Amino acid sequence: MLPIFKDTQKCLLYLILFWAVVNHSYAQTDTANKSTATQTTENEDFSQYDNIEFAETGAKRYCSPKIEGISPQKLIGLGFDFQASHNMSLDSFNGNLASGDAHSYAINNASGIRFNCNIPVISKSSIVWQMGANYWETRYNRADQGLSLPFFPNPLANALLNNGLRTLGLNTTIFKPLNETNFILFQGSADLNGDYDWNLMPMKYLKYSAAVIYGKRPSERKQWGLGLSRTYRVGELNYIPIFMFNYTDAKNKWGSEILFPAKAHIRRTINPRNMIFAGYELEGQSYRLYRDNYLRNEDLEIRRGEIRLRLVYECSIKEFLWLSFQAGYRINYRYNVDRLENGNEILRAFGILSKEPYVMNNKLSNPLYFNISLNLVSP
Amino acid sequence: MKNSLLALLLVAFTTLTSFVYQDTEGNRLIGVWESGNGRARVKVEKIGSKYYGKIVWLKEPIDPVTKQPKTDKNNPDQALQNIPLKGYRNLKDFVYAGKNEWNEGTIYDPLNGSTYSCTIKMKDKNTLEIRGYIGVSALGRTDIWKRLEVKPKS
Repeated sequence: MLPIFKDTQKCLLYLILFWAVVNHSYAQTDTANKSTATQTTENEDFSQYDNIEFAETGAKRYCSPKIEGISPQKLIGLGFDFQASHNMSLDSFNGNLASGDAHSYAINNASGIRFNCNIPVISKSSIVWQMGANYWETRYNRADQGLSLPFFPNPLANALLNNGLRTLGLNTTIFKPLNETNFILFQGSADLNGDYDWNLMPMKYLKYSAAVIYGKRPSERKQWGLGLSRTYRVGELNYIPIFMFNYTDAKNKWGSEILFPAKAHIRRTINPRNMIFAGYELEGQSYRLYRDNYLRNEDLEIRRGEIRLRLVYECSIKEFLWLSFQAGYRINYRYNVDRLENGNEILRAFGILSKEPYVMNNKLSNPLYFNISLNLVSP
Repeated sequence: MKNSLLALLLVAFTTLTSFVYQDTEGNRLIGVWESGNGRARVKVEKIGSKYYGKIVWLKEPIDPVTKQPKTDKNNPDQALQNIPLKGYRNLKDFVYAGKNEWNEGTIYDPLNGSTYSCTIKMKDKNTLEIRGYIGVSALGRTDIWKRLEVKPKS
């Protein structure tokens, strides 16, 4: 054997031996002194961490979009909405009814699926930006569907009972904290609402809603804010002030989740995975009557606004998968039909800016309703 | 034979150097960090070959109901609900994967008692991006943590 081989072999062996010993002893020393268990047992003086500063000069602290105890934010949700039997009284329109009297239709139920998703695009302490999409539908099932009534004398009844109503939209939410207590919240959405089918309506019929809130988060358990919204929640376009108030009590048993006037709920927390809410939500949109040529040419939109008084139960059924069940009373606020003026909506502002009458004044009776959904919630 | 052994030696040396370098790079995570909302401070340390973080400071350390130090009362496991939050390991099992990223770990949120998959990215020596997520990284939330300077007590 060559001497060089012997030396190299020795060297290699020493190297490997050294490496093994160092590595082994390092690991042993480390794990012998510290535990990886959830609860650490070392006697550490935690007071040394009380008065310490950022290593980086100019680093800032920001308030979080959430408060302690608030219900988890839903990332993806698929649900089913069901309104029990009720009556729909549709007004006459341009003499298109057999008589001038309203026509009443008994509706067995109005139901449909609801899909929502809300995915974080940017999620940092200094800004949170989320994008979402939603699809909602309402299908009207007439009580005498089995009878041979292929055509209803009322064109609106034809459109509703044959086509139903749909909403397909995109939305965005931006939370911008200014410092440890102040923030700005912006929400915007663009929705295509109407009686269209898989052939979507042109994008020129999109309805835009938005809200901006300036808020404060004075503690871990309270945040409030004031703002302005452009909304269709009562059926027609309005610009209204809004007030946000989210609160959790010290015991984390009671709280509120309020975005007035859009929705307001009192929250009872059984535990962080089981919550009950009592309150209401305003729901509504302007729906373009598009599929029927006659209605389309008349430039008509349904102004649908309703109040949902309800109890909601939300619980985690498996880790991040939550079930939401709501039941209550759907109170009709408005279901009128409006004609656009030169393609523009009439801004009535509850009769303050315009007293222009609606083309049709319709009425819905108020049924019980329920909604059940499965949701994936956010960390 | 001579050349082969030299090559082997070189490979062993390079591997060793690389491990030491990786170790040094990975150890940059060690230190005390503050969460984005300033509610908690977490001390990251290395145990064996993995990185762990424990809560060492809370903005509101006292439970307003019991008037005692806060415990992990939201933990779904009742046996763990009396464990004090100070000293609680909320970051576990992180491995340095190179390129300023630590992964394979989990983060625990004491506010809701949930544990999430987590990756940590070091944006600069004083800034971490902590991303907790469910299943896939897209379904998650990122928080920015800042390094704190702990001065030894005089």
